[in-house]
Parts: sequence; structure tokens; C-alpha cells
Amino acid sequence: MKSISVLGWELPPVFSGGLGIHTMNLYTKLSNFLNINIYVPDIVLPSGYYPFKAITVNLSKYYGSYYRSDDFFDLVQEYNEILIENFNPKDVKLIHAHDWITFKAGVELKNIYHIPLIITVHSTEYDRSGNFNPQKRIMDIEKYGIENADKIITVSNYTKEIIVRNYNANKKKIKTIYNGVNSELYDTGKKDYSLKKKVLYFGRLTSQKGPKFFLEAALKVLNNMKDIKFVIAGEGEKMEELKILAGEYLEKNIIFTGFVKFHVARQLYNDSDVFILPAVSEPFGMTVLESMVSGTPAIISKTTGVGEALKNVLKVDFWDSDLLSEYIISILNYKGLRKTIGENGKIESLKFTWEDAALKTLIVYGDYL
Amino acid sequence: MKSVVFYFQMHQPRRIKEYRRSEVSHNHDYFWEEKNKEILERIIEKCYVPMTKVLIENDIKSSISISGVLLEQLLDMNSSVIDLLKEYFKSGKGEILGETYYHSLSSIWDEEEFKRQVEKHIDTLSRTFGIIPSTFRNTELIYNDKISQMVKDLGFETIITEGTDEIISKNSPNFIYKTISGLNLFLRNYRLSDDISFRFSNRSWNEYPLFADKYAKWIFMTEGDVINLFMDYETFGEHNWKETGIFDFMRALPNELKKYGIDLFTINEAVKNKGKKYELGINKTISWADTERDLSAWLGNEMQIEAFEMMKTLKNSKNKDLWGLLQTSDHFYYMSTKHFSDQEVHEYFNPYHSPYLAFIYYTNILEDFYKTFLD
Repeated sequence: MKSISVLGWELPPVFSGGLGIHTMNLYTKLSNFLNINIYVPDIVLPSGYYPFKAITVNLSKYYGSYYRSDDFFDLVQEYNEILIENFNPKDVKLIHAHDWITFKAGVELKNIYHIPLIITVHSTEYDRSGNFNPQKRIMDIEKYGIENADKIITVSNYTKEIIVRNYNANKKKIKTIYNGVNSELYDTGKKDYSLKKKVLYFGRLTSQKGPKFFLEAALKVLNNMKDIKFVIAGEGEKMEELKILAGEYLEKNIIFTGFVKFHVARQLYNDSDVFILPAVSEPFGMTVLESMVSGTPAIISKTTGVGEALKNVLKVDFWDSDLLSEYIISILNYKGLRKTIGENGKIESLKFTWEDAALKTLIVYGDYL
Repeated sequence: MKSVVFYFQMHQPRRIKEYRRSEVSHNHDYFWEEKNKEILERIIEKCYVPMTKVLIENDIKSSISISGVLLEQLLDMNSSVIDLLKEYFKSGKGEILGETYYHSLSSIWDEEEFKRQVEKHIDTLSRTFGIIPSTFRNTELIYNDKISQMVKDLGFETIITEGTDEIISKNSPNFIYKTISGLNLFLRNYRLSDDISFRFSNRSWNEYPLFADKYAKWIFMTEGDVINLFMDYETFGEHNWKETGIFDFMRALPNELKKYGIDLFTINEAVKNKGKKYELGINKTISWADTERDLSAWLGNEMQIEAFEMMKTLKNSKNKDLWGLLQTSDHFYYMSTKHFSDQEVHEYFNPYHSPYLAFIYYTNILEDFYKTFLD
């Protein structure tokens, strides 16, 4: 079998974002057709059985310190350098690098060994900064990867447009491939659509994801409807600020759960009347699909990538908490609306499979194998 | 001798606007006048005027139903279409049908309201055209035996409906039947009707392009007394643009039919000149909508049913006319969430591009209506 080397960052069960889930699912499928070697740093020691070969890159001197952003940047630099030293080019037909944290090594390995490079852009600094004060040194690395890759995969046309506009990417090199969703994990059977009086935000509490707009909408709904609970699940730098904004409603109507584990998340989706993602800039939005699989209607911002492929969601401008609050009230008031969006949304979300993503990735690989 | 019976439906709803929840209790203007005007002006120019001229100039006989909702919009605009239609009806070639004024679903749930709407429509027809119709066409040909009894009680002589697969498997649509209530019953020949309304400009259809001589031959080869070609008036010039040759087709058709000895009849002429077959009972509610030919185009999901039930509760309002306008079937049609090709048709017509927004705007309006017009 032909070999592909993947430059990754994290693998389940240890991960902090969608990148690990993506890596795991995509390459589990692709390992049926190809020899896959996935490089990951040993700061998040992969454990368990993988159908592909996981190669750890030793970075242990930085262990545990990567939450501070300066250190994180240095850590990434170090990872890329050691990755290049440890790289085994034998029989490798293609290198596939994921996000800026591996782009530098990807480009340099391509130059050293003359192996074609494919990159996937899962998110950009432009998205992560919430469109506010992005770090130039990270954008430079993203640009470096985007310019030097032979092919680019983006997770939505929304992201494709961002990298064309902000990074001057060559449109012809880019292919959009949507993520899949592990529907068996979130499908809890037939959902009961009787009113639960619960509205859910689930995601990191960063400006990128727009929790502030969720909170603004919550306050507007609470002006009209009593005893509705707004659950903010997740943790992040905006937590304290949000708690202050919640004011008198904190704990009674606006509830912060902090970090939630998978089984709690699954329960939260199922127990809510509606899921909200008012992201300022979200390349894909996996949680939207997870919510839909569980049968819970979603309201998302127009700047959420997966929305471009969805009919059975409601969409608002991320800043428009007036309209968001109106949609929330309609969904809470009308069971028929909840049920119709929820049931049709579930059917629609089940079309997003990792099989499909893997097949489309294989087609992109095909030109180089 | 065999005859072709054309029936055309003229209807344009008063679409509601993208009415926000924040407007409830403040704004009682519900209709999207700008959009309605824009669409109606386009249709008048592309379809109503040229098609009515084609009918007049080529002596094409047909029966036409015009919803009250459309008629009042045309009258408000002082449209020349009204004069053309007057000319056509006066010539004796054109005949007019009765229906519910608001193009509503009232026949399926409230006889009293149904009666009010049909009488309002008759009243408007008689004032505008000086005609009292004797044939009834229910909204989207919705029909069952109970509806036909209500229509009989209102004084009509004839009613038309869809020739569904179930009906035509035992009864040819190409004859006139009697209803249990004693009315004359016409069944739409959906294959031959859809050849014009749906397939005429479809390039992937193996009979494309359809010319009048070929079509006349198909009719000649079809057995029966009457070939009932029932379709929307907008078929001509709006759903099939002028450039597709649809008007040329209609201009040529009467002569092509004549070559086979087939003439065109209005519904009343057919009733006078053709024999009646046996009594046909239709217990199940049918319509000409979607592939299901039932009520599912308007009441197919729980959202539509919820909106419909909420509308019903407003019956005792002070503003019956406004309530009537909120009963127009199109409001519910836009909320449909079917799959595959039927849904494409629903989406083509949906001005809000989302069935959920159609529901939200509609229920916002009903909330305002409830607060404003109910004591």
C-alpha cells in the first residue's frame, strides 16, 4: 500500500478541539486504502488502539505549559523543528499537514524530500481571534503553508473564501470537504419535543464563538419569558466577563456548567429545546451537526461554515441578538416548529459522514498517488 | 365527437411580509405590498395580458376561475386585465367559475365559513363581470363527497376535481360523471394537462419539443367525450416563458384539433352537449397538489398543522376580511418541508426561502391579530 504521512497535533482520547476528532475519524476510514503514519507531539500522549500508525514526537520538556500563548507559539516552533528531524521519508508519496501548527514542517519537508504537500485549513487566525487583533506571526505561517501547498482542503466554502480574501490563496488549488459527524454517538432515538424550557450554548467561551451574543439574546428572552434556563456549557477566557453580564439571572436562569464530558454533552443536546451557535467566524461548526443529530433545532450565525450546506436551521447575523432572541421565543412557543425543524434537521445532518469526507479526500490524493 | 375542455386558474396570494416579533402589538400591516405588486406586475405583463389576448384573438374557448384575492388586487391596480377578461367573457368564449374568495382551505373544516367565502366570491364576480357562476372549483381542486354536497347546497350545478390515479384506475377521466349530491363532475386528465403545464419546456423530456400537431394527435388517440385540460393560467408566459413557444402552441392548437374533428368547449357547453356517466362517490379528500394529490401540501407537517389550528381559533374576530386573507392556502404551502421534486416546486414559490421563516412570520402575525382583533 502507498504511504501517506500526516502531520497532526492531537488524537482522541486526548484533545481540546475538533482537530483530534477530525484526524481520528478521517484516517480511520482512509487506513482501509492507504498506509497512514500520523505524527503527533508527545505532550498529549496518544493512547489506545488506532487503525493507523501514530508516531510521537518527543517534546516533553514543555509538558504542561502550553496554555500561555507565548509558550504555545514556541512549543509549535519546537514541534515543527523536531518533526523535521524525526521524519522518515521512506515510501512516502504524500504529506498531509493540518493547520498552522504543522504547516512549517510540511513546507520544509516538501522542499527537502520533494514530496507533494496537501494542507487542510480547519481554522485560520482570522477566525480564532474573532476577527479582532489577529497575530501576524501566525498569519505569516498560515500564508506560508497556503502558498506552498500543492492542494488545499478547506472545511467549508466560507473558509475557502476567507483564505482567498485574506491570504491571497489560489482558488484553483482549493477543494472544500465537509466534516462528518459520528451520528451513532449523538443519536438518542426519538426525541420528545414537549417544552423543556432550556436553551443551550455549547462551545469554548472565546470571542470567536460569540457566547456574548448568546447571553445578550438570553437577557432579551428573559424580559419576555420567565423560568427559561440558558445553559452555557464549556470553559474559556470569557467566563468571568459573561458571569458579570448575566447579573441577577446568574445561576437561576443563566447557568454555567464549565467543561463538560462527552456523556454530559450528549445529555445536554437531548434535554434542550434549541441549540445556539452565534459564532463571529466559525470555519465549520461540528456542534451544530451534533445537536441536529440528537434532533434538537439549531440557530446559528451566518458566519458558521456548515450553515452553507444546511437548510433546516435558522440563521442570523452573529451580532443580531434581537433577531436571535425572537427566533428563540418562536421555537419555545411552538412545538410544531421545534418538531419540524428538529426532525428534518436530523435527516439532513445524517448526510454528513466521515465515509463521504474520506472518499472526497481520496480523490484529492488521487492526483499524487 | 370529442371535445377539449380547458380550465385555467388565476390566483396570486397577498403574501405576508417578513413580520418581526417586535412588531406584534404595534404594526397591523401584514402584507408585503411591495413584493406582491412586483410579482403581480410581472405576471400581468408576461402572462395575464398576452394569454388573454391569445384566447380572444384565436377564439379559444375556456373556463377560468379567478380568486377573489387576485381580483381585488387587479381592481385596486386598475389593471387592464379586468377589461380584457370582460371582453373575453362577453364574447361567449370564456366562462367563469366560482371558488372561495380567499383561495382558502375552509371547505375542509368549517361549512359556515366556506359558505361566507363562496358567497363573497359570487358577489364580487357579479359586481365585476355581471356573471353568476354555475360551476365550482375548490381551492387546488380539493374535493370529497361532503364538499360536493356543500357546493350543491350553494346552488352550483357542476364541480371539477383531480383525476387521481386511484380514481382513473377504474373510471376514465375523459367522461362527465355525477356526484352523489347530484352535481356534474369533471375529472382532470393529469397526464395531458401536465404535458403542457410541467413538461412543455423540459428539455430532458423525450417528447421535447412539443408542437400542437403532435399534441392534437395524442388527444385524437385518447378515448372519451371530454379531455379536461386543467392548469394554472401562469403556465402561459410565467412558468413557461414566451420564448419557449408556449403562446405559439396555443395559437396553433385549435386548428390542429379541428383537423381531427375535435372542438373546444367551455364546461357549461360540455354539460349541455355530452352524456353523463354513472354516479361517482369520492370519500377520501383529494386535490391536484404535489404527487400525493391530497392535503399534505398545506397540512403535511406539524408546523403547518399548528399554524392552521391557531388560525382557526381566531374565528370570532372583529375583522373577518383580514382573517380571511390569512386563510389563503399559499401561507401554509410555503411552510411545506417535503423532500425531492415536490419541495423544489414549493421552494420556487416561497418568497421567504425557508419554510421555518414562513411559519415564524405567519405566527407572529396571528399573535398580533389575536391581540388586536379579538376581545
